[in-house]
Amino acid sequence: MKAYETYLLDRAKVEGNHQLATYRRLGGYKALEKVLKGGLTPAQVVDEVKRSGLRGRGGAGFSTGMKWSFMPDVAKDPRPRYLAINADESEPGTCKDRVLMERDPHGLVEGSLIAAYAIQAKAVYIYVRGEYRLPHDRVAAAIQEARAAQLVGQHILGSDFSCEVFMHKGAGAYICGEETGLMESLEGKRGHPRQKPPFPAQSGLWNSPTTVNNVETVFNAPFIVERGAAWHAAIGTANSKGNFLCGISGHVNRPGVYELPFGVTAREILEDKAGGVWKGRQLKAWFPGGSSCALLKGADIDVVLDHDSLRARGSSLGTAAMIMMDDQTSMARVMEVIARFYEHESCGQCSQCREGTQWLSQIFHRIAHGRGQADDIDTLESLAKGMAPGKTICALSDAAAIPTLSAVRLFKDELIACIREQRDPLAAPAPKYATVGAH
Amino acid sequence: MVKITVNGRVVDADPTKPLIKACHDNDVDVPMYCYHPGLSPVGSCRICQVEVKQGEAPGRVVVACRTQPAEGMVVDTESPKAHATRRECLEFLLKNHPLDCPICDKAGECDLQDFTYEEGQAQGRSHEPRRPLEKRKSLGEVIVLDEERCILCSRCVRFFEEVPKKAQLTVSDLGSRSVISTFMDRPLSGNYQGNIADLCPVGALTLKKFRFQARVWNLVKMASTCVECSRGCSIQVETLRGSDVKRFRPRPNEQVNGWWMCDHGRFAFDHANAAGRLEGARMLEGTQLVQTPIEEALCAVRDALMGSKGGLVVLSPFCTVEEGRALRELAQRHQAEIAYVSPPPSALKDELLHTGDPCPNRRGLEELGIRGEAGETLTARLAAAKVGLIAGERVVELLGPERVRELPGTLALFAFECHPVASRALRAEVGIANHVERTGTVVNVDGIRGPLAAAKPAPRGVRALERHLQDLARLSPRRETAVR
Amino acid sequence: MALPKQLVDEFDELVKNYPERRAALIVALHRCQEELGGWISPQTMEDLGAYFGLEPVEVFGVASFYPMFHLRPVGKHVVSICHNISCDLRGAQDIIAKVCEVTGAPLGGTSKDGQWTVKHVECQGACANAPMLDLDGTYHEDLTPEKVAQLLGAVR
Repeated sequence: MKAYETYLLDRAKVEGNHQLATYRRLGGYKALEKVLKGGLTPAQVVDEVKRSGLRGRGGAGFSTGMKWSFMPDVAKDPRPRYLAINADESEPGTCKDRVLMERDPHGLVEGSLIAAYAIQAKAVYIYVRGEYRLPHDRVAAAIQEARAAQLVGQHILGSDFSCEVFMHKGAGAYICGEETGLMESLEGKRGHPRQKPPFPAQSGLWNSPTTVNNVETVFNAPFIVERGAAWHAAIGTANSKGNFLCGISGHVNRPGVYELPFGVTAREILEDKAGGVWKGRQLKAWFPGGSSCALLKGADIDVVLDHDSLRARGSSLGTAAMIMMDDQTSMARVMEVIARFYEHESCGQCSQCREGTQWLSQIFHRIAHGRGQADDIDTLESLAKGMAPGKTICALSDAAAIPTLSAVRLFKDELIACIREQRDPLAAPAPKYATVGAH
Repeated sequence: MVKITVNGRVVDADPTKPLIKACHDNDVDVPMYCYHPGLSPVGSCRICQVEVKQGEAPGRVVVACRTQPAEGMVVDTESPKAHATRRECLEFLLKNHPLDCPICDKAGECDLQDFTYEEGQAQGRSHEPRRPLEKRKSLGEVIVLDEERCILCSRCVRFFEEVPKKAQLTVSDLGSRSVISTFMDRPLSGNYQGNIADLCPVGALTLKKFRFQARVWNLVKMASTCVECSRGCSIQVETLRGSDVKRFRPRPNEQVNGWWMCDHGRFAFDHANAAGRLEGARMLEGTQLVQTPIEEALCAVRDALMGSKGGLVVLSPFCTVEEGRALRELAQRHQAEIAYVSPPPSALKDELLHTGDPCPNRRGLEELGIRGEAGETLTARLAAAKVGLIAGERVVELLGPERVRELPGTLALFAFECHPVASRALRAEVGIANHVERTGTVVNVDGIRGPLAAAKPAPRGVRALERHLQDLARLSPRRETAVR
Repeated sequence: MALPKQLVDEFDELVKNYPERRAALIVALHRCQEELGGWISPQTMEDLGAYFGLEPVEVFGVASFYPMFHLRPVGKHVVSICHNISCDLRGAQDIIAKVCEVTGAPLGGTSKDGQWTVKHVECQGACANAPMLDLDGTYHEDLTPEKVAQLLGAVR
């Protein structure tokens, strides 16, 4: 097992790190001090992060420094500016931000403040999914401690920089993890994604310039500020820099959240970290970055984990949430569950998504329950193509279409067999229980 | 304004308005469900996709309702890509939409039906059952909702939020479970509910009063003006095969009513359809009113007016400009005084359309120099006069039927009315056409002129007041001539 | 009826966090659900509407969008079981069956004794510790049917 330099999860492993005293003892808030007392300008921070090669960890993998630089010139645009932290972590398989919030909440606060300074935001809203009670409470407590220590609020650390940090709760809607859905929800509305343009940097929260960053993304900022862009850029591969958090779940011996540098292979994570496929079985299929990316076959496990390599395989890094499936897994069942999820979570605005996610879900359900029809595979493929790419206001429709197309491509024979035999040969015995309501 | 090319034609477009408007303004058809020119665009139904090219970049398919026209933009609404994208979208919209067009009131004017006819595949691909939902959900006195037909365009939700500015509907739940809903199934309220039936692009929201009343292709539609208040909303009068009025619906007129009208005006057609009309003319013979040729009644009017000094002509404020002018001439010719009945303001006044002034042509009559007086005052003046002429639709109602009944026998009262007049003073009465049976002009509160259309024929033997007045003028010697 | 004073005081502070009052609506809905019987009653929606200057139907539209808000009364305890992919792969269906068996509640409903509401939910972000359930706001992870029986038995 190769050893790699770690930093993202180091403090999280220390008991009591969620409290300010421990966090500070471990070097916390040094980066913020460096920024505010060391005379770094916001532009310098943006530039540092740009040069570090940091890319967003919420799924899209966009350059963080670049995103920050899209905020309008503060001299020309007098509107208040906001930073929203996307802590709505709801992509199936993804459970990394929760670890950071529970065990290193000050790391998030410090990262948020540095990001807020870089974009000159007057306030940060941390949008935490409603189910994350402990993570919410830990971050809320950290903010209180930080405020008492002059790390949040007016004249932070005696500098000219003032910034409030507020907690905000979601209430169980996946779509609020989409940045414009998140903004609508933060404004107290139904989480309907907004048409882009305008992009959040032009007109986001309350029609003001807004940056939305994932938890892990801003969590990286203090390390980059403290250790330098060059240090960060030296880790990883050509276009994917630094360490990332990988949540690995499903049919493995040691599911968990692990920290690794870009450039490791998926096999290293599966075998060295997660202890291999459980029950001595073989890997049949896996999602490299949450359920919204294309499925890969087990044979693809030697792929290097970074944005470019996964793209080259026709999938994507997403949230680096690897969901592993062993050779006994029914792909009809997997897709039934995935398609049901997107149907459940479509906000319902766009016709293709509202109706399409339901349609996909109905077809996969039939196939998995021995009621497939001869034309189902063709229909699935053509529906998925009608739902994406870019045909709707947001990418949820794409997120449902992408795994569908990959399943139809990679596991066509298995699905056809289910249809032909009018049963799913790999179906697990279904335990019995009474149900009321839909599904 | 910017110059854009739409289907090969260079046109001017307002860059602050969505591209779909530029297309529609130039008679290029782009289908739409969620977009409505009177509401904020949301871009959710995705049916208005067109192909757009800017500069050297390859063409992109975009929704025309959320795209701003930009200088040099090249728009192709008919490209294969645009067609294909719209067809895909249509298939999704139809997935749960019931095939009940034969019993749907919207059939024939349904945007979904029309576009499906143009573009749709004849064969559906879905093996899935359609969403079973409520087919007849009452949303109050005006509207009934068929949840199954709803395509969730949210026009009705936005209407209440943006036009009367008081939310009454929402999309509840989300995704494929979404339905349009009021709070806890409370009935809708207010004077603007009917608009959502017009707005609904499908047959989900229908008017209780129009349910199963007519197939829309049998309706004859005429452009007219609402006469229920001085706003004078532009409307369309729709009659079933030229007989009864089945609907009043707003006609878009940005200067007057936008795309809307109030329910008070919308449902004011019972009056127009009412039976018991005064047909032909009747004159008092002894103590009985007996049917007489119209010409004889007109002669009686002429004789009475000629023989009197100080007769009084009372108009209904429903009289058109043309009728007002003719009555003014008549009054001048016979040195009679003239006034119109001015009823008290109604409680329906609001910030949106209803002015609270029940006189549709107050401004038009005032511009002719005719002044309004209260019904009470005018009946008192009539009571003191020797000869009185009351004319116009609803004039008796506005003067006060009781007061008219009790006018003294010393007065010789002549009436042009839609319905028989009851009065001790009555000497003759002549039936006239109502506001859906005659043409003319009314001037609204802001001085904007609106046409009345003869959308249906008047009952047998009933003519328009203006026609009677023309005949009367023909029968009367000109005052000028008499003096010379 | 109006909101209890203690909640009004709390919301008066909360709305200061935002440039527009309405932004606090979802957090306020959470607090109402916690404090006012575990669900959002029509009365609560009206009260919140009055507080935020919204029509009740707007509050309803928002509340019904978010699966965490119960618009019908629930049992004394609410068990939410994740049935998304990572949990499904590791036996979420067995967990659901066990919860239903122990509580006597059907999935998506409430037990006859009013003690338990059982529902399935989508991914709760506990994928690395699947299968999981949330009992009254606390996560219980790495479950087996035996552990479920033990956990719920202890609540009784």
